[in-house]
Amino acid sequence: MASESPGVTAWKEQTSAFDRVHSIATGLDRPRPAPYIASEAAVAENTARNHLGRLVEMNVLLATDDNGTTLYEPDPLHTRLRTLRSLLASHSHDELLDLKADLQAQIETWQAEYDAATPAALRQSAADSETPAETRAIRSTANEWALTAYRLGIVADAIENYATYTSDLPASA
Amino acid sequence: MAGDEYDPAAASHRALQAIETALSRHPSVVATERFPEAVSTQIVARLDVDAFTAASGDPTLTVRWFAGETQAAEPTVSFHYSDRATDFGWHYEPNPHVDGRGHFQRADESADGYAYQPYSFASLEPARVVWEVCSQLAAELE
Repeated sequence: MASESPGVTAWKEQTSAFDRVHSIATGLDRPRPAPYIASEAAVAENTARNHLGRLVEMNVLLATDDNGTTLYEPDPLHTRLRTLRSLLASHSHDELLDLKADLQAQIETWQAEYDAATPAALRQSAADSETPAETRAIRSTANEWALTAYRLGIVADAIENYATYTSDLPASA
Repeated sequence: MAGDEYDPAAASHRALQAIETALSRHPSVVATERFPEAVSTQIVARLDVDAFTAASGDPTLTVRWFAGETQAAEPTVSFHYSDRATDFGWHYEPNPHVDGRGHFQRADESADGYAYQPYSFASLEPARVVWEVCSQLAAELE
């Protein structure tokens, strides 16, 4: 994208090149080559390649070869561990159990309201909706449901492995 | 990711993380929090009222971002500003009001809710959109 695009000047003033490459690369929804990430991060291509290489070494990104072109994408394990760390830093074991119950209750509410077992089943039902507005509403709920189920999986992981994950954490001040 | 099936929920989660980080680095953002508290599918950024000339009390920017249902599909996005006097936002989602997904909408009683106009995002990478929207926000609140 052109560097004159709205907000890019302020972005460059307020952040380092590494920050911008990191923020673009960790938010990617598909593997992308260095020139694309460089353009989106408003940095030179060589700068992007250097920072992307460091992020691969730090296990923040994965690099794959696509017919001679290196593609970069977020390492899903790093993303998951970052969320786990945040949950463990802000919740006790009991609070995680409460959070799990809240997430399960929300999912059960959607299951009952839409008579669907999963977000995918709810999306299927959007095909039978009578108006575009209803279709949009169903797809929006399915998106929220899928995201909630993803979060529930990480919360369950945090609870199941709480003792292991917190054994090396420093005590709270 | 590599070799794995595309998971739109995981992609949405990553986008929200990138947005939260970008918001936390923007000088006009005071704090961010997830909303609703448990499911955390949205981000609410509390904004510095003094950073915008025309902002009223309690300005916030509420962000929703759902990655496409398939890797080839486009995301559903909204960055919506509100304060005690008004609300408006930049959205990228199917809608019956303008051609295409990108639009700007502003609360307008005479238009029976909102008035809409097309808007073309310069980028659809989450962190870039944060800085683009905050730039447009400053222009709207001059």
